[in-house]
Amino acid sequence: MQRRDWLKGTTAAGLALLSSRWTLSANAAAGLSDRFPALADAVLARATSLGASFADLHLMQTDSESLFVREEMVQGVNAGSSLGCSVRVLVDGAWGFAASGEITEARLLALVDSAVAIAKGQGGWRARPIEIETLPAFTGTWELPIAIDPFSVPLEEKVERLLGINRAAMEKGASYCNSHVSVVRERKWLANTFGTRIEQSRVRIHPSFSVTIVDPKKGEFATRSSLRPPRAAGWEHLTGWDAAAESALAVEQAKEKMAAPSVTAGKYDLVIAPSNLWLTIHETVGHPTELDRALGYEANFAGTSFCTPDKLDSLQYGSGIVNLHADRTAVGGLSTVMWDDDGVKTLGKEFPIVKDGVFRNFQMALGQAALIGREGGSNGCAYADSFDAFPIQRMPNISLQPGPDKTIKSDSLIADVEDGIYIEGNGSWSIDQQRYNFQFTGQVFHRIRDGKLDGMFRDVAYQGNSVDFWKACDGLGGEPSYELGGAMNCGKGQPQQVAPVSHGAVPARFRQIKVLNTAAESGKDIAAAISRPEGGCDCSGANPSWA
Amino acid sequence: MRLQRRKPLLGMNRSELESLCGKILGLVSADDAELYLSDSEDLILRSANNDITSNGFLGRVAVHLSVSYGKRSASISLTRTDEASLRDAVKKVEAMAKLAPEDPEHLPPVEPATYAEALTWSDATAAMTPADALASLRPVIESARAAKVDSAGYLSRSVGTSAYANSRGVFVADRETSVGFSMTARTTAGRGSGWASTQVTDAALLDLSTVGERSIQKALDSRDATARAAGRTTVVLEAAAARDLLGLLASGLDQREFDEGQNFLNSLVGKGEDPVGKSLFGDQATVFSDPLYAPAPSGTHASGLPVTRTTWIEKGVLKALPVGRFWAQKKGLAPQPSPGNLILPGEGKSLEELIGGVEDGVLVTRFWYLRMVQPQTLLHTGLTRDGTFAIRDGKIAGPVNNFRFNETPVNVLKNLVASGAPERVLGSESQMPMHVPALVVKDFNLSSVSDAS
Repeated sequence: MQRRDWLKGTTAAGLALLSSRWTLSANAAAGLSDRFPALADAVLARATSLGASFADLHLMQTDSESLFVREEMVQGVNAGSSLGCSVRVLVDGAWGFAASGEITEARLLALVDSAVAIAKGQGGWRARPIEIETLPAFTGTWELPIAIDPFSVPLEEKVERLLGINRAAMEKGASYCNSHVSVVRERKWLANTFGTRIEQSRVRIHPSFSVTIVDPKKGEFATRSSLRPPRAAGWEHLTGWDAAAESALAVEQAKEKMAAPSVTAGKYDLVIAPSNLWLTIHETVGHPTELDRALGYEANFAGTSFCTPDKLDSLQYGSGIVNLHADRTAVGGLSTVMWDDDGVKTLGKEFPIVKDGVFRNFQMALGQAALIGREGGSNGCAYADSFDAFPIQRMPNISLQPGPDKTIKSDSLIADVEDGIYIEGNGSWSIDQQRYNFQFTGQVFHRIRDGKLDGMFRDVAYQGNSVDFWKACDGLGGEPSYELGGAMNCGKGQPQQVAPVSHGAVPARFRQIKVLNTAAESGKDIAAAISRPEGGCDCSGANPSWA
Repeated sequence: MRLQRRKPLLGMNRSELESLCGKILGLVSADDAELYLSDSEDLILRSANNDITSNGFLGRVAVHLSVSYGKRSASISLTRTDEASLRDAVKKVEAMAKLAPEDPEHLPPVEPATYAEALTWSDATAAMTPADALASLRPVIESARAAKVDSAGYLSRSVGTSAYANSRGVFVADRETSVGFSMTARTTAGRGSGWASTQVTDAALLDLSTVGERSIQKALDSRDATARAAGRTTVVLEAAAARDLLGLLASGLDQREFDEGQNFLNSLVGKGEDPVGKSLFGDQATVFSDPLYAPAPSGTHASGLPVTRTTWIEKGVLKALPVGRFWAQKKGLAPQPSPGNLILPGEGKSLEELIGGVEDGVLVTRFWYLRMVQPQTLLHTGLTRDGTFAIRDGKIAGPVNNFRFNETPVNVLKNLVASGAPERVLGSESQMPMHVPALVVKDFNLSSVSDAS
């Protein structure tokens, strides 16, 4: 399905089509849709009468379910629902914001009063008033299309799916295996003084597992976590995954990893699979190109950025083959919505961040484009993670575009590597507050020798500088090798907000990247590890504690 | 039975809270139930570029209910307390529990016990208004303007009431207040950056101006940093950096993980050896938790289990590990909740004295983006930020570039050579109350240089 067709075709879909086994959620949503217009009128009129030049009303309901299974034991069956409202006002060039879990007209009007009082409290000592652009008004509803509503799937079926993953791993010799699935439905209502009245709903799902192999004789263990990413999708995202097969493979790979030679630190050519590269994109491209960060709004927490406005259209961010595209419209994208939380329509707001290796645009929310003299206003990147969260600039889906040759895939990239490592799955990640120095690990590190995979390494981390790294990219997979990764919980802001976001990628090759030996970094003598006899792992199939 | 409609719980006294919990539990027909009820009111002010950027006055009630039929259990959470919502939630969670397979590790709720009254409440903090917060922040921002630095800060005042009750007759209520403030100051010229913070239970003790002054001075002092190579060296970790590493160590301690062979402690002892009682850290390392420790108090129960003072490490010897109720029963141990606060008493030396004892090293203000790299060794990575200085011959020699470190908190306590007087400041990761001093640590692994400033 094409992106535009998908979004257009679902704009008018009724929220009532969503089924729910939990009447609490359905009733609350239906009631709010009925009450929303009158509440909006009352709130916005009150805010305007108190001097607000702009105001908006947000209602938000988040329903969730999660399951956790350890070995054969179902240890977590959880459901959750949060519901509430917030009012944001702009008075005399200052924001005011107030929120509550109680949605009544009286409470909302009191929130307006609180928000206006906070805004007016800044009067007379602001250095610079907050100014925002005028936005077009929108009305309508939108629902993310899914094949199988995960909230309608019987609990027994969900449990059996996870038990199947764990059974496959334990039969293959895992010492431990845990599996987990979480699903979230997010419904939002937004009205503002520009005339917007919108309602939208989306669903996301994250299935995962982790296997552990223990060698009790040596006091060592190894793990391998699943590679399946979260997705804006229904239960079909889980049924379309042969998770049991992957958990069995994961056990084999964990055993091989524990017996593998410890990597010798140095520079290697890396071929990085989308299952690892999505996170590198997130940290080295996604966060540095947030305009609020570049302007100092995150200086006290998430940090600032090496990517400052003076570098627009001039910074060589990567090699000439590197193209990174931002949107909130990708099919399956965790950041995909019809309107952002400022009320900006996302369709048509897609933009390049890096084009032919050059830095081209920032991610922006309401009121930010004018600060750097950009025409066109916000590009639709506002998000609030809960009913009591102030909307801030958050990341759209940002994806590495495929190379022009559709026949290129990971094997083709590996074939041109003499001495390197092919990395799958994301592990540890860290980057400095201006996004220069990063360090990542992974799940599986395949050794590459003379253009072919040749066993595994253990204790691998790669480290570098964001721009140097992307400049070292000299090979990209073609469109058929494109995969969408992502995270449910990207953190930013104070108080911290978590946002779901996807990153598409193709396998990519990077030349001469610094690789660390993590065992050596810990101060451990790795001589024994490097010289360990092949097949030296004593992996007991069953944990003595559980036998 | 008619349930009370939503109203602020903050003004409720203990008997009113107990009555509401009783009414909710009265809706449950399952064999057992556990209920957490909380109401919080947060006041936040966020600033950047010497102006307020966002703010809020936020109220939230939360209900978390777990029910069980024998060893089948499920839980549900919601943000409403009206009768219809609660009845629907109970119906839903009971249906889920009936469908859930039996969990052989499930235990019924804890039995009644005696709980100490927490020290976590302050009337002054509860009375703080948005106008009070704005008035206290304004002079700090104005001092940044006067110093010609860009400041970004976050002031958060939290007031909460919570209760835990279960079907075995346990009821315990807590009230908690806290105020945290942190500020980063940055210079336009010279790429200087400085940070400072404070955290208090009682707003009467809140001192924003000192935080502002420290961050501004540090920003000015850190301008025009010179290059220093990475490598293992002696570091002086200010309290914010020290608390981050101590928190990582505490979160890695777990009896069950050790018994199952999947904990960093497994590599530190021989097969069949018990790590508890072993000297695994340096003899300067003593760490305890105590909910009634006044400078950094915490709650006095964990899911109905009383929490008392616990020494985790004493002069380098591991004294205790957290252990959950099921594993404790299986192993014949007493359950041991994870710490709710952490205290490292320290030697009481001033920062100047600590620096004075270092011939060549680096002073670290704070860390950032700490992540586990290797659970087998508890190796973590992270970066210095907002004020990193070279030490030569016992004195600050000037600002230097930032670094990425790769180090284990085990090594940090093994290589601890001196410590200061404990402070209560904020960290980069966990905001658990901690009272931790600056630490001098030798052979700390600064893995690479960061160009960030």
